[in-house]
Amino acid sequence: MSYFIELIINGALTGLMYSLVAIGFVLIYKSAGVPNLAQGAVVMTAAYVVWLLAALGLHIVVAIILGTVLMFGFGLLTERLLLRRMVGQPIIMIVMLTLGLEILLRGIGPGLLGAAPKSIDLGIGLSPIIIGDIFINRAYLVGGVVALALIGAALLFFQTRLGIKLRAVSDDHVSSWAVGISVERAVGISWGIAGMSAVAAGVLWGSVQGVDWTLSTLLFPAVAVAILGGIDSIWGVLIGGLLVGILGSVIPGYLDAIVGGGTRDVVTSLIILLTIMIRPYGILGREDIERI
Amino acid sequence: MFYRIAGVYHTRYDKARALWPVPADRWQITVVVIFALAAPFLLSDLYLGSYALPWLIWSAATLSLTLLMGLAGQLHFGFAAVMAIGAYTSIHLARFGVPFEFALLGAGIASAAIGALFGAAALRVKGLYLVMATLAMQYLVDWVINNVPAISGGAQATLRTPPSSFLLISLESLEVRYYLALAWAVLLAIFFMNVKRTSFGRALVAIRDKDFAAAVIGIDPFRYKLLAFFTSSFVGGVTGALLAFCYYRAVTPEQFGFNVSIQLVAMVLVGGLGSIIGGFLGAGFVLLIPIILTNLVSGLAASGFLTVSSNLLAHLPLMIYGALIIGFLVFEPLGLAKIYDNIRKYFLVWPFRHSRS
Amino acid sequence: MKWIIQHLFAVTLVGAASFGVASAQEQPIKFGLLQDFTAVYTFVSGEYNQGQRDYLTLINQEGGVEGHKFEAIVRDTGNQPQRGIEAYNRAKEEGAILFDFLSTPVSRALVDSVLKDKVVMITPVHGRGDASDGEVFHYVFPTMATYWSQATVLAKYIEDHGGLEGKRIALVHIDSPFGREPLPVLQDLAAEKKFELKAFGYPSPGNEQSAVWSEVRRFRPDSVLIWGAGGGQPVSVREAIRNGIPAENIFSVVWLAETDAKNVGADIMKGVKRFEAVSTGTDTPILQRIKAKVIEPGLGAGDATHVGTSYYNIGVATMAVAVEAARNALKSEGAPLTGEKLKAGFEQIKDFSAEGLMPAITITAKDHQGGGAGRVSQWNGQAWEPVSDWGSAYQELVQKEITKGSQAFKEGK
Repeated sequence: MSYFIELIINGALTGLMYSLVAIGFVLIYKSAGVPNLAQGAVVMTAAYVVWLLAALGLHIVVAIILGTVLMFGFGLLTERLLLRRMVGQPIIMIVMLTLGLEILLRGIGPGLLGAAPKSIDLGIGLSPIIIGDIFINRAYLVGGVVALALIGAALLFFQTRLGIKLRAVSDDHVSSWAVGISVERAVGISWGIAGMSAVAAGVLWGSVQGVDWTLSTLLFPAVAVAILGGIDSIWGVLIGGLLVGILGSVIPGYLDAIVGGGTRDVVTSLIILLTIMIRPYGILGREDIERI
Repeated sequence: MFYRIAGVYHTRYDKARALWPVPADRWQITVVVIFALAAPFLLSDLYLGSYALPWLIWSAATLSLTLLMGLAGQLHFGFAAVMAIGAYTSIHLARFGVPFEFALLGAGIASAAIGALFGAAALRVKGLYLVMATLAMQYLVDWVINNVPAISGGAQATLRTPPSSFLLISLESLEVRYYLALAWAVLLAIFFMNVKRTSFGRALVAIRDKDFAAAVIGIDPFRYKLLAFFTSSFVGGVTGALLAFCYYRAVTPEQFGFNVSIQLVAMVLVGGLGSIIGGFLGAGFVLLIPIILTNLVSGLAASGFLTVSSNLLAHLPLMIYGALIIGFLVFEPLGLAKIYDNIRKYFLVWPFRHSRS
Repeated sequence: MKWIIQHLFAVTLVGAASFGVASAQEQPIKFGLLQDFTAVYTFVSGEYNQGQRDYLTLINQEGGVEGHKFEAIVRDTGNQPQRGIEAYNRAKEEGAILFDFLSTPVSRALVDSVLKDKVVMITPVHGRGDASDGEVFHYVFPTMATYWSQATVLAKYIEDHGGLEGKRIALVHIDSPFGREPLPVLQDLAAEKKFELKAFGYPSPGNEQSAVWSEVRRFRPDSVLIWGAGGGQPVSVREAIRNGIPAENIFSVVWLAETDAKNVGADIMKGVKRFEAVSTGTDTPILQRIKAKVIEPGLGAGDATHVGTSYYNIGVATMAVAVEAARNALKSEGAPLTGEKLKAGFEQIKDFSAEGLMPAITITAKDHQGGGAGRVSQWNGQAWEPVSDWGSAYQELVQKEITKGSQAFKEGK
């Protein structure tokens, strides 16, 4: 029984760690309708930036704050220089553009700063929090709390004046223009915010596994989270993260021994497939209505 | 200059309907075909075996995928898995003693059957969701191959192709394998050119443009979407088998991983959705540019033009390649085929700057 | 558009010209080091390749072998077979007679070509354990302990320090052919020595393993073998320690190095043991000479701080073996060297230890592994400290697997 509870708790925390990556993906999709398949690489870039600042002698807290500012600028620039030129193109072209961006970032980060894994030390202790027979991962606990805080901040943000503008933009670009909202600026800001959220994801994951290009592979579980929760829903990131994490922990926890192989990727894939077959717009996503 | 269309009169319907009504296109095609046929005599083994041969096979794969993505508008991010099914089916059949010709057929059928399953997702969703569904299926197929030793070939997870022959000609020599790949690529190109003119092709285009609207005019989206997946997976499976038998000559799971799927999509998109010449150009670009860039950058470094750390040197091609993909999409979203088309149109009306239309 | 075409053209011309310059020089002995610098193997390939090139520079600085200089052809394959095939064919055309791909997919795709083209492929400390059978894989040389031998050396260490019988041993591995490779040997050993073995696979790339380790903890293992590479390794060590497994009971495959220790935390990892095929640090004569003759004059191929790290030294050792083989070949077969002569040179290597850098290896026409020796070393907070002597263990079990694998390869023909 304690095994089951431990799997659930650690799974939930892992899922929240994935939510950290997913939230940037959802923000961009929500405002601009762009599935940013480079979000994993953006997370990697954020981790490299923070590592570089820390390596230059800055205190880790200062490095994270400065990194957040830089990544906000990075998000703005990406949108201004690349994505804005693609407005009106078919979605597949935009997907391809983000894939090209992913390749570019994966060349630049490791190319300029070295491909061997780097370490980010957040000073989170390694010893677990022990409750009875249950061990809880301290780093993941911090990650989970940060993820909850970010999701909360995002929800609050959408209540502000700027946030309401973003919501309007996500509803409909043309009507937003009609009432005088600058859609370009709103989309740019959502890219900036996605860049900022990437810092949280990059730093926390970087402290767990080291900073190298493999951070960009976090995209796949993050997309699973986004799809399950609803690709344009902030609450969905929370619920999707918890579900993907828990299912991806509990099912392999019992199944691996029987099958004799890691089944987590299978579970994640099946989650995506089943969601899409049963409820394509996710648990909390908005259903698109199409007209001829 | 080249395209003298003045004075070319089509007096018969079948002439006007020919694949290449413009004479200039015909002789260009002829030159390309002659060069392709003569390639084994013109190119060294290096360029024949490491450039021309994989280029042809990947072009065939790109054409298979562009049938689905370009013509029918169904996005597919798991096509490497479809090819893997073809490769593994053919190799197991061949090892079982089935003649290569039938193994190819078996590969196509197995791929088509499972590929149509992928298509089941397309009946329900489209766009980004279809991307994700096919991606998930890619992971599932990968997992099955990796975790079932009977498929992947035991501890080393490598299966070598048994010696085989096609129509009694042994596949041992590079030239034979090149000609087989060439024949397949040409066959696919011709098939593709013609399928666009059939009711099947037109139905697919109608579904691509708007599936509800297509349903209204009497095209069954259910049937045609499945058929599109079936056809494309069939040729994709055969291409996968050819990739295994003509090029790699050994099959490992990594050859058909997730990143290969992404590369195939990149080939289709960089080349230009739904275009035949784009299929060839896109495959060449995605397959060969990283190789050429790597050699170019090392060449520059070796001769002292470029003095950077070896780590940066290794990553430079990746950066340039990523930047090229971005650049092409930003400046010409319709791909290399559109660039070709622009050049062709420029010469079509040369020396004037604009045509009337 | 026009601008792009013109510039591409210009760059191509410059590139073509530079190839011409390079090939106009006198022909040295060429080694193709066609590795993966941008994808899966980035954790090792940088330092490894630097060590290889620095050693070749050292030999060239010292006048080469009987007047023959060495040249490394270095290309990135990105772990993609099709790029590896191109790089291989190109390097072969440029005259390379020895290849090191350091990538499982690429070397697997090229085994047949290498055997057919009669050029040497080395696969040090990594893939294709069955290639140790020199009578089947004529031109493939693992030259150092394969994963099977690494597993047995680690098991032997556990046996010598507390015994194996009745113990519980967990193998926590990445869920890939590489991760599963030590399983058959360990299973045989478990049956023979009566210990309980359980394998736990985590999904690739291994940046998240918490569920697996909850299970491992409940198995209450006496020792844990971690079998992964790159980013997954520090995660494994952290998770193991977090789940209350003492650092002393953690044993790793060869892929655990200084960078991983830094990622885990140098103090936290104190006590973790790993297999090593080549000694670490700069105390050995060859490393001293590299420092004096290559690094100090500024001829090094990369960051000088990498000199003496685990992977750097493995790189040095691989080239030391290769140069030794070339020396043998030049002596007994004479110049100019070909792949066939180099193969003969490899098979004459006897008790070669690269001046104490590695265990003495003896390569024969039958055994291309060279004995499968290695040792166990322990992280002491700053560096890896050997805790056992060089040696091999249970080679009869390894041999069983080698024969099984190579027979299957032969029948596949």
